[in-house]
Amino acid sequence: MPTEPKIEGLSQRRRQVLFLFLVLVFVVSLPVMIFYTTGYRLSFDNDKTSIITTGGLYVTTDNLEVEVYLDEEKIEKPRLFRSAYYIQNIEAGKHLLVVQRPDLQTWVKELPVDSHIVIEVAAFNMPVIPHIRPITKYTTERNLPVFKQTASTTIIFPEATTTTPLYATTSLATSSYQINEEFAFVESLFASSSVVLRSVFEPKKINKFQFATSSQKTVSTSPEALKQRGDLSLKAKDDQLFAVWNDDVSGIPHYFCVTEGPLSSTAARYGQHVADSIFKLSISSTTPLLINGDRVCRPEVQLNRLQQDVFFYDFFPDSQDLILLQLEDGLYVTEIDDRAWQNTQLLYPGNNFIVVVENGVIYIKEEGVYFEVIIEIEPPE
Amino acid sequence: MSPEDQSHLLPYARRPDFKVARANELTGKDRQFFRFLEIVPGVAAWSTIFGIILASIYTPFAAAYFIIAFSIYWVLKTFFLSIHVRHNWKRLKHHIDLDWEALVQRFDYDQMHHLVIFPFYKEPREVIEGTLQGLIESRYNKDKLIVVLAAEERAGQDAIELAKEMEEKFGSLFGNFIVTIHPDDIAGEIAGKGSNTHYALHQVREKVIDQKNIDYKNVLVSIFDIDTVIYPDYFNCLVWHFYTAKDPYKSAFQPVPLFTNNLWEATALSRVMAMSSTFWQMIMQERPDKAATFSSHSVSFQALYEIGYGQANVVSEDSRIFWNLLIANDGNFKVVSLSYPIAMDATTASTAWGTIQNIYRQHRRWTYGVENWCYLVYHFSKNKAIPLKKRLSIAALQGEGYWSLVTNPIMLFILGWAPIFLGTREFHATVLSYELPIMVRNLLIIAMLGMVVSSIISLSLTPPRPAGHSRFKYIVMALQWIMVPFTMIVFSAIPGLDAQTRLMLGRYMGFWVTPKRQK
Repeated sequence: MPTEPKIEGLSQRRRQVLFLFLVLVFVVSLPVMIFYTTGYRLSFDNDKTSIITTGGLYVTTDNLEVEVYLDEEKIEKPRLFRSAYYIQNIEAGKHLLVVQRPDLQTWVKELPVDSHIVIEVAAFNMPVIPHIRPITKYTTERNLPVFKQTASTTIIFPEATTTTPLYATTSLATSSYQINEEFAFVESLFASSSVVLRSVFEPKKINKFQFATSSQKTVSTSPEALKQRGDLSLKAKDDQLFAVWNDDVSGIPHYFCVTEGPLSSTAARYGQHVADSIFKLSISSTTPLLINGDRVCRPEVQLNRLQQDVFFYDFFPDSQDLILLQLEDGLYVTEIDDRAWQNTQLLYPGNNFIVVVENGVIYIKEEGVYFEVIIEIEPPE
Repeated sequence: MSPEDQSHLLPYARRPDFKVARANELTGKDRQFFRFLEIVPGVAAWSTIFGIILASIYTPFAAAYFIIAFSIYWVLKTFFLSIHVRHNWKRLKHHIDLDWEALVQRFDYDQMHHLVIFPFYKEPREVIEGTLQGLIESRYNKDKLIVVLAAEERAGQDAIELAKEMEEKFGSLFGNFIVTIHPDDIAGEIAGKGSNTHYALHQVREKVIDQKNIDYKNVLVSIFDIDTVIYPDYFNCLVWHFYTAKDPYKSAFQPVPLFTNNLWEATALSRVMAMSSTFWQMIMQERPDKAATFSSHSVSFQALYEIGYGQANVVSEDSRIFWNLLIANDGNFKVVSLSYPIAMDATTASTAWGTIQNIYRQHRRWTYGVENWCYLVYHFSKNKAIPLKKRLSIAALQGEGYWSLVTNPIMLFILGWAPIFLGTREFHATVLSYELPIMVRNLLIIAMLGMVVSSIISLSLTPPRPAGHSRFKYIVMALQWIMVPFTMIVFSAIPGLDAQTRLMLGRYMGFWVTPKRQK
C-alpha cells in the first residue's frame, strides 16, 4: 500500500502545454478548413502539387435510386439533405451530367460549373414503359378491374404495364361484379371534354384528330386558359408555349437566370438559344429582362414542343419545374430548365386520347377506356 | 449585527455590501452598477443568439466562417476537457483504492473535529437514514463527528419530528448530534439550503463548539446535501489533504459528487444528466485554480467564522460561500481537489415528465449561479487588494463559463445550420453553403467520439447491479450518451438562458429544493 497518493493532479504546466498545443492546432486548422469549405483543393495531377479551386453540382431527383454520371464517371452517393446528390470537387468548366436507370428514361444535361459555386439542377426520369392503373365501371370481388372484350386474345394495354392484373371477360353479365365508384367520378371529369383534339395555338382549328364518336362538345383546354402554379404560369403565344414568372425577381427559379456577361459567353455556357432569348427580351418592352445582382433573369422561358402541335398542357403534378405536354404522338413531360437543352420524356404514347389532370392525378381516356398514369417511380427490381 | 460582533470578521467582510445578493439591496451608483452586471449575462447570451441569426441573414459568409471556427474550437475544447476527465478518473480510482486511514497516521489530528451539516427540507426518512448510515460506516472516530441535522420550520411538524426521531436513533453514535430548526421568518434571507446552513452554523457554534471550547481552527465543516452518502475514507482523505495543503485555512476541499445512490432506479435521462454533472466536477478537480465549491464540500470553521458563515440570501449558496471566502481573503483562497467521491442522488420523480421537470428546475437553479458573476465583478471593482490579473482572469473565466453554458449548445446544434436556412441567395449558391453542414456534422461526430470515453468511464463508476435489474441495462447505460446533444440544449442551455433572462429582467429566483427519491 503506498504511503502517499501516487497520482498527482494535472499540473498547471501540463495543462498549459496542452492548451498551447491545441491553440496551435486551432490556428493551423482554421484556415485549412475555411479554404476547404470554400472549394479549394490540393491537386496532385501530373506529378505536380498545386492548389485548385472547385465548384459543385447539386442534383435533385424524384428518386435517389438512380445512377449519376459526371463526364461518364459514376458518382457515389454523397447525400446531403433533401432528396439530392451533392457532387463535390468539380473543376471549373463544362460538365456532362447523366441521371439514369435501366427501367427509366435517361436525363442528360451539360452544365457550366464555376469555382466556389454550386450549380443546382433538377433531374427527372419517367418510366420507359408507362405504368397505368385502369379504372373500370365494374370490379371483381378482389377489386380487379373488369374489361369486357369481344375476343379473349385482345391485349388491352399493349403500350403499358398495369398496377393490378386485369379481369377480361366476354360475358355481358354484370351481376357478379361490384360497381366502381371511382369510375363515375373519372367519367364525369371527361364529361365536359371535347372528343375533338384541338391545337392550343389555333382555337378555331379543329378535327386534326377525330375520335369515333358523334357528339361534339366544348374543348376543355382552351388556348387562352392560363395554367398557374404559384408564381409560375404557362402561356401559349406566337405558336409557342412559355413558362412565365409572374413575381419579382427575388424568388425566381434559378434556371430562369444566367450569370451576367456578353451574349457570346452566355451562348457558350448555356447554348445559343438562351443567348438568343436574352437578346430578344433585352429589347422587349413588354417582357423586359430582370436583373438580380450579378444575374440576368428572363421572365419567360420557351418550352420545347419537339416541333409538334400541342393539344394539352399543364404543370406536372407536384412540380413547378416540369410541364405535361400532349403532342401529336403522345403525352410528354418536359422541363422548363433550358440550360444546354430541355429534356423531354414520353410519359404515354398515342395519338387519340384525352388527358385530364385532377388533384395531382393524370387521367387518360383512350378508346373509351379510363386509366390513371402512375407517376411515382418504383424502386429498381 | 453590531460592530462588536464583527470583530472576528476579516476586514473586507465587514463591509455592509459584502453579502449583497441583488441590486435592490444597494443604493446609488453601486445599485446601478450591480443592476448593470445582472443584465450583462442575459444580454450577452441573447445578443449571441440573435447576432448569429442576424449575421446568417445579412452576412452569411462571416457567420459561416465563425461557425467553422466555433466547431473546431468545440472539438479541441472537448478533447482538452476529456484529457482532464480521463486523468481525474485514474486519480479518483487510485484514491478510492488508497488506505487513507493508514496515510493520515503520520499526522497528529486527534484534536480535529468534523462538523457535518445536513440541511434538509422534506426529504423522506430513508434518504436521511441512508446518509447517516454512511457516516456510521465511515472509517473514522465517530466521537470526533459533530452531526447537525438542520431542519426547516417551514417544512412543518412532520419534518421536525423526523429530525428528532433521527437524533434519538443515531444521536448516541456520534460525538455530538444536534437538530437545528431554521425559523422561516428571518428578515433578509431567502428560504433554502444557504439560509438553513447559515443558521445551523450559528447554532452549533453556540451550542457545541463554544460550549466545548473547541478551537475553531480544529473544526472542519462539511456542508452536505441530505442525500450525501460518504465513502468510508472521506474524513481520512479530507484530513490528509487538510494537513498537506499549503494553506489549509485558506482552502476549501471539494470531493467528486457521484450521483449514484439511485442510479439503477433512475431513468436514462437522469443518469446522463447526473453523470454529466459528475464529469464536469471531475474536470474541475484537475483545474482547481479555476474552480469554486459545488454542492457538498468541506472547509475549516475558522475560515467560515471569519466571513460570518457565508450568505443566507442567495440561491447558489454552495459556490457563493467560496467567492465570499476568496474576496474576503483578498484573493488568497483556493479549492483543493480531493478526487475522492461522495455519493448523491440522481434527480428523479415518479413520472418521466416529473423527472424532466425536476432536472430542468435543478439545472436552472444551478445555472442561476450566474448571480455569482455579478457578485464577483462587483467586489473585484471594490477590493483592489486582490491582484488585478487574478481579478480579470477569474471574471473572464467565470463570465465565459456562464456565456458558453447557455450559448454553445444552441450554436452547435441549432444555429450552426442558420446560414444555410437564412442566408442570402448569393450564399446559397456557393460551395461554402453546401460544405458547411458537412464540415460541422463531421466535426461534431469527432467531438461525439468523446462520448465513447464518457460511456466507459460512467460504466466504471456505476455501482454494482442490484438484484432485480437486468444486465440489459448495462447496454442502455452505454448507449444513453447519444442523448447528450439533446440534454445539452434542454437541460443546460435553455435553463441557463431562463435563469440569465430572469436575472436580466430583475425577476429574481428563489431556492427550489430538488426532490430526493431513494428506494
